[in-house]
Amino acid sequence: MFDKILIANRGEIAVRIIRACKELGIRTLAVYSQADEESLHVQLADEAICIGPGPSSESYLKIDRIISAAEVGDVEAIHPGYGFLAENAHFAEVCENCNIKFIGPSSAAIRAMGDKVAARDTVRKAGVPIVPGSDGPVDTEADALKIARQIGYPVIVKAAAGGGGRGMRVAHNDPSLVKAFHTARSEAERAFANGAVYIEKYIESPHHIEFQILADQKGKMIHLGERDCSLQRRHQKLLEESPSPILTSDLRKKMGKAAIKAAQSVDYVNAGTIEMLLDATGQFYFIEMNTRIQVEHPVTEEVTGIDIVKEQIRIAAGEELGYDQKEVEFQKAAIECRINAENPFSNFQPCPGRIDFLYTPGGHGVRVDTHVYAGYVIPPHYDSMIAKLICYGRDRRTAMDRMARALDEFLIRGVSTTIPLHKLILKDPNFRRGRYSTSFVDRLLAATQPLVPAANREEPTLKTQAA
Amino acid sequence: MELEQIKAIIVMMKENDLSEFSMEQDGLKIRIKRGPEGFQQTVSLPPPPVAAPALAPRSDAVAAPSIPVAVDPDIKYITSPMVGTFYRAPSPDAPPYADVGKTVDEETVVCIIEAMKVMNEIKAEIKGVIVDILVENAKPVEFGQKLFAVRVK
Repeated sequence: MFDKILIANRGEIAVRIIRACKELGIRTLAVYSQADEESLHVQLADEAICIGPGPSSESYLKIDRIISAAEVGDVEAIHPGYGFLAENAHFAEVCENCNIKFIGPSSAAIRAMGDKVAARDTVRKAGVPIVPGSDGPVDTEADALKIARQIGYPVIVKAAAGGGGRGMRVAHNDPSLVKAFHTARSEAERAFANGAVYIEKYIESPHHIEFQILADQKGKMIHLGERDCSLQRRHQKLLEESPSPILTSDLRKKMGKAAIKAAQSVDYVNAGTIEMLLDATGQFYFIEMNTRIQVEHPVTEEVTGIDIVKEQIRIAAGEELGYDQKEVEFQKAAIECRINAENPFSNFQPCPGRIDFLYTPGGHGVRVDTHVYAGYVIPPHYDSMIAKLICYGRDRRTAMDRMARALDEFLIRGVSTTIPLHKLILKDPNFRRGRYSTSFVDRLLAATQPLVPAANREEPTLKTQAA
Repeated sequence: MELEQIKAIIVMMKENDLSEFSMEQDGLKIRIKRGPEGFQQTVSLPPPPVAAPALAPRSDAVAAPSIPVAVDPDIKYITSPMVGTFYRAPSPDAPPYADVGKTVDEETVVCIIEAMKVMNEIKAEIKGVIVDILVENAKPVEFGQKLFAVRVK
């Protein structure tokens, strides 16, 4: 087992990794930017090294400084978390070359799944269904039009080097396809330094179902069930749950098998997630694989009782998975709400600032994963997620009632948050019936807008003795 | 507060001819007085934590102990632009690049920071006279860490 690990990340996931390390008796080294000097992960780690100024490109993305810190701190492994360098094949390679264990898959597997076009081809050859689309990157406007007419509108133009919902454009006809094609290419060039795009059939109002994979270095691979992440806005997830309210056990078996086949096609090791779309006819398709731990991993942890971050560390240290597929039990239903420092009724405008007051919910079946505390100043340089609220219980009804109750207790003052939007979602009768898809949030917001006063939504406050 | 830090404070007081020093950090108060009878110190420990979470104190292997000094506007700092190991000279037998009292300008090499087996020469990038060296030879440094204090006027 490792003696010391460097956490190449920040925020709540850095705290999450430090917690797992502490429980395993592993010493922790945090790296941080100058904007994160007061951050919780810096305070919880055994040691911390500053690696640059606020902007990520100057700090958390600086491979040389992180590797330097790893050498100075004499660590044996690096956990990359999610985002930043987690799916950077070059970073994984540098770690391999410097004899530092990268806690995740091989750089080859990251590369294979990181190219979304190549990934489609790889899993297709392995017998996994993919969304009908272009066979490779689409280079010209003429090709784009030909393929789009072949597949049939509507289509979606995606960045080959993208993923995570970024660099995507939907088109319903020829003129909008031309626009989407060019916009997607220039956006991809700017965001990923790679303007290659591909085209898929756009599946309307699908369910986004993803399967959690765990594989050890000895070749054993299992899945830990699915997460339904259909509640999205602009391809960014807001809420995730497991089990999916619309999956039959037959579909779960079929999709689980397909997910394992897809991961095996790149000899995957460690934790990863296969993302699929499920259409209204019950057909499912592979869209991409995330070769890292995901934001919503706590949902699966509460359903199965398995600590995924600890398993990542154990697998990287060479341990075998201690159980088989049939021993994985789906004991609970769990829901996660991502709480962002954004105003959901003001077009999700980010609200960095100081958290003056914080009360996090508790009680039976409630888990809060966060790096914020009262008095913390949310820096402007990073994403706006400040907490994850996970509620679980014996069935979906219990988890939902618990989530609604917990959201009512969750008080954050000083910044606007998306808590009010989550409250609306939990009250929505269609959500409660499990009837929703990726267009749900937009429709809910459109229906709610006239009813909600733009600013000055009074949040209930706790009566405190201090003024 | 480590014994080493208290010793460092006493040395600093002797070197700078200070007669009294006090500081407060994380609820710990320390006061050291230097008189003809020698050093006296009173240390009061913080009350047991009540509501605040017990955050483990960070044993900072790389940062210098934060002893407050009066802010002198004529003193500027050369800080580390990278993470690595600080060396005062190009090799173990060579003389150091810069000692206290050395006049430097923007192009003067003041130290080496070794990162991933690459020796990087660090330039002063300011004009002035070195008045203090804040890191020991062969110690690790982090980004932004103060290396030299330079009197610019």
